[in-house]
Amino acid sequence: MLNLDPAKCSGCRRCEVHCSFFHSGKVGRSAGRIKVVKIEDRGLDYPVVCQGCRERYCAECPEDALQIGSLGGVHVDPELCTGCGTCETLCPVGAIEVLEECAVVCDLCGGDPRCVRACTMGALTFEPGERDVVSLSAFHDGSEGLSPEEKRVRFALRSFENLRKSWLSARGA
Amino acid sequence: MLHGYGGRIVRVDLTSGLIRFEKTDPELVLKAIGGRGLNSWRLHDELNREADPLSPENMLLIGIGPLTGTLFSTSAYMTISGKSPLTGILGDSAAGGHFGPELKQAGIDQIVITGRSPRPCFLDIIDGEVNIRDASSLWGLDIFQTTAALRNALRDNRVQVAAIGPAGENLVKYATVACNNSRMCGRTGMGCLFGSKHLKAVAVRGTRPVSVADPDRFLELCQEFDRRIMAHPEYDRRKALGSTLLMKALNGLGILPTDHFQRGIAEYVDRVSGERLAEIYKVKNKSCFNCNIHCSRYYVTEDDESEGPEFETLCSYSSRIGNDDLRFALRMASYLNRMGVDSLSSGETIGWAMECVQRGLLTKEDLGGLDFTWGNRETIGKIVPMIVHREGIGDAFAEGTRSLAHRFGRGTQEYAFHVKGLDMICGDPRGLKAFGLTYAIASRGADHLRAEPFFELTNRYEESVKRFGTRDAADRLSDNGKAVLVEYTERQALLTDCLTMCKNVGLSMDILDFEFASRLLTAGTGLDFTPERIDEALRGIIDADRRLNIALGVNSSQDTLPRRFTHEPLPEGASAGQVVPVREMVKDYYRLRGWDEEGRPPA
Repeated sequence: MLNLDPAKCSGCRRCEVHCSFFHSGKVGRSAGRIKVVKIEDRGLDYPVVCQGCRERYCAECPEDALQIGSLGGVHVDPELCTGCGTCETLCPVGAIEVLEECAVVCDLCGGDPRCVRACTMGALTFEPGERDVVSLSAFHDGSEGLSPEEKRVRFALRSFENLRKSWLSARGA
Repeated sequence: MLHGYGGRIVRVDLTSGLIRFEKTDPELVLKAIGGRGLNSWRLHDELNREADPLSPENMLLIGIGPLTGTLFSTSAYMTISGKSPLTGILGDSAAGGHFGPELKQAGIDQIVITGRSPRPCFLDIIDGEVNIRDASSLWGLDIFQTTAALRNALRDNRVQVAAIGPAGENLVKYATVACNNSRMCGRTGMGCLFGSKHLKAVAVRGTRPVSVADPDRFLELCQEFDRRIMAHPEYDRRKALGSTLLMKALNGLGILPTDHFQRGIAEYVDRVSGERLAEIYKVKNKSCFNCNIHCSRYYVTEDDESEGPEFETLCSYSSRIGNDDLRFALRMASYLNRMGVDSLSSGETIGWAMECVQRGLLTKEDLGGLDFTWGNRETIGKIVPMIVHREGIGDAFAEGTRSLAHRFGRGTQEYAFHVKGLDMICGDPRGLKAFGLTYAIASRGADHLRAEPFFELTNRYEESVKRFGTRDAADRLSDNGKAVLVEYTERQALLTDCLTMCKNVGLSMDILDFEFASRLLTAGTGLDFTPERIDEALRGIIDADRRLNIALGVNSSQDTLPRRFTHEPLPEGASAGQVVPVREMVKDYYRLRGWDEEGRPPA
């Protein structure tokens, strides 16, 4: 799985850019499978990507268009996907979205994730052996009705809390 | 179709509410490239020379580069241009962050804004849809609050915002426009221009991925460019400290503005240096879109937190005005960002007042009862909010140093350090001769970024002989070879501005040359950008800017420096005894530029 150290993330979005270019030949956030949440006045920069969660909420695809690969990445069959958005609704962290009538999600680039290569801060790392270790059940609760971006912001804010606390406590604030 | 480019120009008239799209013209971009070049030609061709800068007639342009938002790193800037409220001549300022790429993904290369909205408004851009919306509830908010409020109102955290703070609303002549809260279009008062149009912000969302003409070739070139950046000898240092590394570096060269350029050394530099800031307060790196240097920083102090500051702000609010308290300088930096005030111009008004008081030219009574002794934190902390809200003496300060000194007279003008109305940056030109020439001839006033002849600091003598025919161009203290250096780096700087990319990379690190730019632009856009054509475009833009400025009242007598830098030698340090023989250098520059002796380009 992909691991993130938010203390190292500068928010440059190279992960997004290179992900998008590798998968589509173009650059745009909507074509990226990893998306950086930024909240400038809190110092928050947090790339949100498929966590390869234990629950696999997205796999409840009505068309059976989603398969879990050997590395734990999600593979979408564009022939089967109708763009119905069930997976987008079910993912608690906004890591899968429909773009041009097909679901878009991290496939781990066949074991050589371009986001990791692009990250010159060392904030993103890839652990091929690790899969199905993260539980997102805590984020599943209350995610209903939120847009993918709102879910990403919620996930990023909660995941970032400890780092922010450590910054403030180091200054005695 | 055009690749790389967004493909459209949008014209917004805030008086009538009319919004109109035009296709980006391939013929135009071959001579304007993009960003600042695109803005400059627009002003040259369409600006009414007589227009008062604060009138609805003045134009407000936001331009981005052809490769902004692509895989090409460090090109995330956007440039705002118009007739400057501060100087009355060509005004423009660029900022990085994430706004430029978002605008590109909305399919837009340039926004052309005219008129004045009857009430506070913001532009709401989502791809092809542009709306003028009411901003009454945002008026009065600071920049950080405005960004948050807009994202909240539009229910989308991805919205990129360029906004002004209260200073822009109150028409402070050197008000700024911010992207991502802390990336500032700082110079020439573009925030004042926003305010004069009752434009609080531009909010943009773009969902259209940007294509390039030849993706495989483009990828190779971008990888090569990234390798050049990562392999640069200064990479690690720039990544750790960003521009704040200049505090100690300039101090070592004896050119760190101290007590308003009376000295070039601050004995307390270690207490206000970039190293000190990183050691105590930095919590992590920050970055513009798709950059691999990450030179910006997030800091948390006991009473504040923010992104930044850059060197110019740190120096403006420390040694330049005699303040040795880093935490105080940081607090001022984030206040300036929130309110939207240029640190250089505001810092110059303060430094000017302090020097005038020191010399007995002004008294406490002249200055609203404030005690302008060096480094007086109470006074600095009071005068800046007074500038923002134009209260008391702050109203005069908000007009900029040139106007302020003119109002007082009595010999105080000699200590107003500006060229053509734009306050000087923090680098004493007496120990940087090519920078001195740059401040004198720069088309927006006393500014280093128009040519950024960093090369003279490198001691690369062999390269200097090869490129400029003399080793002296790489020797900062030599007057020789500086016109030829500046003539070249002015074009290189303009190229980075047309690509809306970072000057640190394009110039200071000296990574971008015309030949490489030609390959990049061709693979990116599909247009035939030969090196010759690029060079011709750059020369054309420089001449167009000059013609505009001449029409706006600039003449050769203004291509100079404040007297201190031409006549008073630096007293101590590694640049002791130096002055800038600016007149001779300017003449050489005109000749190399192909202008006549009065600095006029051929018709």
